[in-house]
Amino acid sequence: MRQKSAVCGIGETRYYKRGDAPHTEFQLACLAIKAAAEDAGLPLSEIDGFVSYSDSRNGPTRLSAALGIDNLRFAATTWPGGGNTAAAAMQIADAAVRAGYARNIVVFRAIAQGQFGRYGQARAGSGSVLGGTAAFNAPYGLLTPAQQCALRTAAFMDKYGVSQEALCDIAMACFANAQLNPRALQNGHPLTREKYHASRWIVTPYHLYDCCPENDGAAASIVTSAERARDMRSTPAYIVATAQGDGPSFGEFGPDNYTSSYYGSVASNLWNYAGLTAQDMDVVQFYENFTGAVLIALAEMGFAPMEGIQEFVSDDALVGPDAKLPFNTSGGNIAEAYIHGFGLINEAVRQVRGESTCQVKDVEHSLMVAGPGYAPGSALVLGATA
Amino acid sequence: MKRVLGEGWILPALDNLNRAFFTTGKLTLQQCKKCSHLQHPPEEICRNCQSFDLGHFESAGTGKIASVAVNHHPVHPDMRDIVPFAIVLVAVDDAPGPLLAGNAIGVAPTDVQIGDSVRVVFEEAHDKHTDERLLIPQWEVVR
Repeated sequence: MRQKSAVCGIGETRYYKRGDAPHTEFQLACLAIKAAAEDAGLPLSEIDGFVSYSDSRNGPTRLSAALGIDNLRFAATTWPGGGNTAAAAMQIADAAVRAGYARNIVVFRAIAQGQFGRYGQARAGSGSVLGGTAAFNAPYGLLTPAQQCALRTAAFMDKYGVSQEALCDIAMACFANAQLNPRALQNGHPLTREKYHASRWIVTPYHLYDCCPENDGAAASIVTSAERARDMRSTPAYIVATAQGDGPSFGEFGPDNYTSSYYGSVASNLWNYAGLTAQDMDVVQFYENFTGAVLIALAEMGFAPMEGIQEFVSDDALVGPDAKLPFNTSGGNIAEAYIHGFGLINEAVRQVRGESTCQVKDVEHSLMVAGPGYAPGSALVLGATA
Repeated sequence: MKRVLGEGWILPALDNLNRAFFTTGKLTLQQCKKCSHLQHPPEEICRNCQSFDLGHFESAGTGKIASVAVNHHPVHPDMRDIVPFAIVLVAVDDAPGPLLAGNAIGVAPTDVQIGDSVRVVFEEAHDKHTDERLLIPQWEVVR
């Protein structure tokens, strides 16, 4: 294996309520990439690779021409899915840089739902005829990630005796940490337990505040070799480990998986690769599509047993820089902005650098865990030392 | 019976894998002829022994609710008149393993509990594109 890689630059646009971005999605992508290059002190022309999600509307050749890139050496996307592949996108860049196929790879996501329509709303309604897996779900009104994760969470809560308060704890931590972060859309809008419980049901056991909003914006990071990163403007965040994992049997609800967020095998793959455990992590960013799915993922990643997860997150255990487990320190998808997980990657980098608005002391290892409830899941460990 | 979510609501596109499930009026699950493995949704290969020799198992059609989520928010405008409704996962008594999605009927959506006993019922539908008659499994709570 060649030397390690590192994140040498991060950037993002302002974040917006869904539909409010004053720029096109492609312009948002360009803004975030320019900001990341500026942060690294890297001329745009020296970017030579792009990685994003499979459904990205902002392709590598258009970006390459628009940004004046000299030599595009590498372009790839993750498999179809969603936020479950956020850290997998970093894994692709890490592999390509370490293999020497490219030098400075941008990993990014841009979203303008005013321009292109909403992600979170079902496209099919009455009169539609759907095939494949949807044939077994859509006739029953089972159409969206919220509903699918709700079924898993309800069974998980029943099996392990977890109450609504544990879901509330996740939302409360995100909102509390967002009050320290001027980028966060919920900055200035604190959440109380009363407000949480009084909010409308989306699909039980999810209240409104259990679900991340839909936002517009873009975020990007640049992966380069550890050696080059040391000579750049910003402090390197070394890529210690990445992992993907699926199973058991994603695609069907079975006895082994219907209370799972599909992070059991991600955890074993990640910790084996890193030679580390959950307890070695100083700060974590968990992709909250829905609070309940995060509770399951926290347990599956090894932070607490399933039976003990409620106690683990209670008493403000996730709130602030001095928390028992500093968690979603930017406010996360729920309270900073939902850029399909890429805001969380940037926050994981800031924690290594010492630049977070909710900065944890002496961070050696910073964990980012991608979207729970879908497979393959993925995760990323960043380190302060190579 | 009439369709739980309304007569015009989304239909499954019938194919060779799902036709038995949606048209026979019996609870019919895919079963491997070689190793007897039960799987749902059906697949083009046995997930246990990788045989292509797949047939069907006809269940007596009773089960227990393994999970329930009551949907309140209309995620599509056509859902405005049908919320709230209960989406359930059902463990079939004589077909251990796969869980089946469906809607629970017979009690108020908010009254459906994990562990409730259910029996299969069938909602009738007609696909005007293919002129096929469908009998879509649903779940009635039995107390």
